[in-house]
Amino acid sequence: MNDAADRRAKGAAGRATGALAPLIRVSLAACATWIAASGEAQTDAPASAPTTVSATSAPTLPPGAVKANPAPNDPAGEWHSQARDYANTRYSPLDQVTTQNVSRLRVAWTFSDGTQNGHEAAPLVLDDTMFLVTPFPNLVYALDLSKPGVPIKWSYSPNPTPVSIGKACCDTVNRGGAYAHGKIIYNLLDDHTIAVDAKTGKLAWRTKMGDPTRGETMTMAPFVVGNKVYVGNSGGEMGVWGWLAALDVDTGKELWRAYSTGTDQQVKIGPDFKPHYAWMQGKDLGVSTWPAGMSKTGGGAVWAWISYDPDLNLIYYGTSNPSPRVPAQRPGYNLWSSTVFARDADTGMAKWAYQFTPHDEWDYDGVNENVLLDVTWKGQPRKVLVHFDRNAFAYVIDRATGEVLSATPFAYQNWSEGIDLKTGMPVVNPAMHPKPNVKLPNVCPPDIGGKDWQPSAFSPRTGYVYAGIFNICMDLTDHPQSYIAGTPYDGMEMKRYPAPGGNWGEFMAWDPVAGRKAWFIKEKFMTMSGVLATAGDLVFYGTADGWFRAVDARNGQVLWSHKLGSGVIGQPMTYLGPDKRQYVAVYSGVGGAAMVSASMPGFPPRGSTLYVFSIDGASPNLVAGHAQTQGEEQPAARSDEGMGSRR
Amino acid sequence: MTPRAALLAALVLATLGACTSHGGSTASAPPQAPPATETLVAIPLGDLAGAAKSTLATNVRNPYEGNAQAVAEGKELFVRMNCAGCHGYDAKGSMGPNLTDTYWRYGGVPAQVFKSIYEGRPQGMPAWNPALPPDEIWKLVSYIESLGGMVAPEGYQALLQGDRAGDNVPPEVARTLPEGALGVKSATRPENAASGSSTRPEARPDAGGNPPNGEAGNAGGTGANAANGNGGGANAGH
Repeated sequence: MNDAADRRAKGAAGRATGALAPLIRVSLAACATWIAASGEAQTDAPASAPTTVSATSAPTLPPGAVKANPAPNDPAGEWHSQARDYANTRYSPLDQVTTQNVSRLRVAWTFSDGTQNGHEAAPLVLDDTMFLVTPFPNLVYALDLSKPGVPIKWSYSPNPTPVSIGKACCDTVNRGGAYAHGKIIYNLLDDHTIAVDAKTGKLAWRTKMGDPTRGETMTMAPFVVGNKVYVGNSGGEMGVWGWLAALDVDTGKELWRAYSTGTDQQVKIGPDFKPHYAWMQGKDLGVSTWPAGMSKTGGGAVWAWISYDPDLNLIYYGTSNPSPRVPAQRPGYNLWSSTVFARDADTGMAKWAYQFTPHDEWDYDGVNENVLLDVTWKGQPRKVLVHFDRNAFAYVIDRATGEVLSATPFAYQNWSEGIDLKTGMPVVNPAMHPKPNVKLPNVCPPDIGGKDWQPSAFSPRTGYVYAGIFNICMDLTDHPQSYIAGTPYDGMEMKRYPAPGGNWGEFMAWDPVAGRKAWFIKEKFMTMSGVLATAGDLVFYGTADGWFRAVDARNGQVLWSHKLGSGVIGQPMTYLGPDKRQYVAVYSGVGGAAMVSASMPGFPPRGSTLYVFSIDGASPNLVAGHAQTQGEEQPAARSDEGMGSRR
Repeated sequence: MTPRAALLAALVLATLGACTSHGGSTASAPPQAPPATETLVAIPLGDLAGAAKSTLATNVRNPYEGNAQAVAEGKELFVRMNCAGCHGYDAKGSMGPNLTDTYWRYGGVPAQVFKSIYEGRPQGMPAWNPALPPDEIWKLVSYIESLGGMVAPEGYQALLQGDRAGDNVPPEVARTLPEGALGVKSATRPENAASGSSTRPEARPDAGGNPPNGEAGNAGGTGANAANGNGGGANAGH
C-alpha cells in the first residue's frame, strides 16, 4: 500500500466513526452494484424526505496532491469565461468570504433581465463591468459596477429567429459568453456566433453556423484559446449532424469544422489519431458503425464544455447522444456519439477519442465537462481529465493517451455492472436493453443522467471535485421514429421519479484519486446548478427550488442558505468589485432540464433575476437615504426585444 | 435517388401507409365531406377589423367529430409523426406548447387548430401540408379535442373576448358561464369540464399565460414539460 492509499484507508476509517457514516456506506454500496429491475426504485418515499448532510471531519487530501493549471491566469477578481480557466476548475482565488464570515452574506443588489426561460449562464466580469447573456432572445447587457444602481452601460439585441424556439429540445437556454480580445462572444439559439465590442456594445462580427429549420440550435458557451473561438451545435434529439468549429476571434471567419460522425475526413481523423482501445481503431468508423445512410442524422451534438491543456496543446470536449434516441433503429456503436475527443487546438485534428457509452440506448450523452487535473496515480504523476458522465460513472482518463484509469459510479445506477478497464467497454446489464414499444421500468439513471451539463468545480486546497448530481430513474418506452427534418428524431417516452432515498438531488465532494465521495448533501429537489469553489474554502451551489448555499469545502457543512425568487440552474461566480469587495453572483431562473421535476409540490415559478451577495450586503447600492441610479445617458432595458416589443 | 433517400421515402410511405390503409376503419372516410381547405385558409388568427362577429368559417366542424376511431388514429399519428417529441407524449407540452390546456396562441376552435397544423407557426411548428393529407390532420385535431382543452366552434366569440374561465371552476359557477367558455365537452373525458383544472399546489410556470416568447412548456431539457414533469417526451440530450 503506498502512502496515498494508506492515507485514504485511514481517511475512510476516520469517516466511519462519524454518526452519519452508515449513510455514506449505504450510498457507496448502492453505487457499487446494480440492482436487478424490480420496481425497487419506484419510490413511494415521501417527497419531503429530509435533507441529509453527511458532514465529516475526515482529513482532506494532502495539499498539492491534486493540482490544476490556472492558465490563462486571469486577474484574481475577474471572470472572463464560464469555467474561469482552461482546466475548467471554476475556482476563484478570492478569499475575503470565508467559512468564518459566510453566514453574513446578504443580497447586495439584483438585476432582472426580463427573459423567462432557463438561466444557465454565469455572468462575466472584466474590470468594472459585468456582462450578462440571456436565454432567447439572447440579449447581452453590460452593467457598470462602479456606479450606484449598477446602471446599464449598453445592451445588444441580436434578433434570433423565433423559429429556433421550437427547435430547442430543452428550453431556450444559453450557457453564457466568453470575453476575449475586447469582445463578448456568444452563441444565438438560431445558430449564429456573434462578437460584440465590450466597450461600445456594437456588433463586431456575426457568423452563421447552422440551420434552425433542420433542428439545429446553439446553446453552449464559446471557448476561446489564443486567436480561436470554439463553438458547437445542439440538437441531439432532432437528428442533427453534430460538429465543433473553430472561428477566428477577430473576424469570426470559420477556420475548420470537425463533425462528430461521418468519414474520417469529416471527423478530422488522420494519421495522428491514436485511440487507446482497439475497438475505436479503424477507417471511417463514424460511418461503418451506423446503418447505411444514418450517420449524418446521427446527432453527436457538441453543446456543453471545452477544456484546454496548454502543454499538450489539446482541447477536450464531449459529444451528445446518437439520433434517433431509439437504439433499435441504429445497430452499431454509433461512433463518435457520446464520446470525448482530444483534438489539436490549432488544426482540429483528433488525437484520441473515447466513447463512454457505445450504442447509447438511454440518452446518456457524453458532453459533461472534463476537468483537467494533475494527480499522482499509483506513484506516478499523471495528467488526467475527470469527467462525471451522464451514465453515472466518474471517469479518470489519461488526457495524453485516452487510457481510462478508473471509472466509478457516483450516482445511483443499474444499467451497467461496471466499466472493463482492459477494453474501456461498459458491461451492460442485460435487463436494461429497451425494446421498441415495450415499457422498460426502472432504468437508472434516466436520460438526464446521474449528472447533466451543470459543471463541477475543483479546489486545489482540498483536492476534491464538487458537483451537483441526480438520484433519478425512469420508465422508458421507445417509439421508433421517421426522420422528418426539423422535428424530433427522438422516440423516448419517459416517466421519471426519484431513485431509492426519495431525494431528486445531491451535492457531493468527490475524491478523484480514491474514486469515491468524501462527503455529500442530499437535496429534495434537483441540484442542477454549476458549482463555484473559492480560496475561502467555500463551495457554492443552488437547488431547483431556489436555495442558494455555501458549504465548507472540507467537510460539507452547510454554512449559509438563501432562498431566491426562482430555482437556480445557473453557475455561481465571484468577483472583486471596483470597491475591492468580494461579491458572489448567481442567476435565479429555473428551466432547462430541471423542468422534469416541475410537478413536484413546491416547485418554483420561472424567473430572470441575477442575485449578487456580499458580506452584510454592503455595496455602493446600499445607501442610507435617498439614492438614485447614476450614469450618463443610460440606455433603457432591452428585455422586450425579440419578444413582441412594439418599439 | 440515393440509398438513404430511398430508405427515408420508404419509411415515410410506410408511416403514412400505416395511417391511411386501415381498410374498413370507421375513421378512414369522414362521415361528411371535409371542408374545403381554401375555406380554412381564410380563417383569421385574430379578430376582424370592424366586425363584431366573424363571417368566415370558424364554425367549421371536424368531419370526424365524435368519431372514436379517428381519435385513436390521431393519437397514433401524434406519436408516429414526431408530434409527441415536441408536445410531449401526454401532449402537455415539452419543446412545443401544451395542447391540453385552454391557452391557444393561434386559436382553439377545430378550424384554427387544423390551420396551425396545416400551415405551421412561426416558433418552430412546421407546416404539415403537404406531408399529411387533410383527413389525417383532422384526425390529429380529433385527438387533441379528446384531451379536453379545445374550444367548440360555438365558443369562438367567447375565446376572442377572453370570456374563458381559469382553473378550478366549481360546477355551480361553470353552469353560469357562456357556452364554450370551458372548452370542448369531450366524449372521452366528460368530467373534464373545468379546463384542465389542477388541484396541485405547485406553481404552474407555463400554465395559461405563457411567457411571451414561450412555448407552453418548453421545459425542457431534458425534457420535460412544465405542467407535468414526469409525463412528457422530454429530452435530455441536445
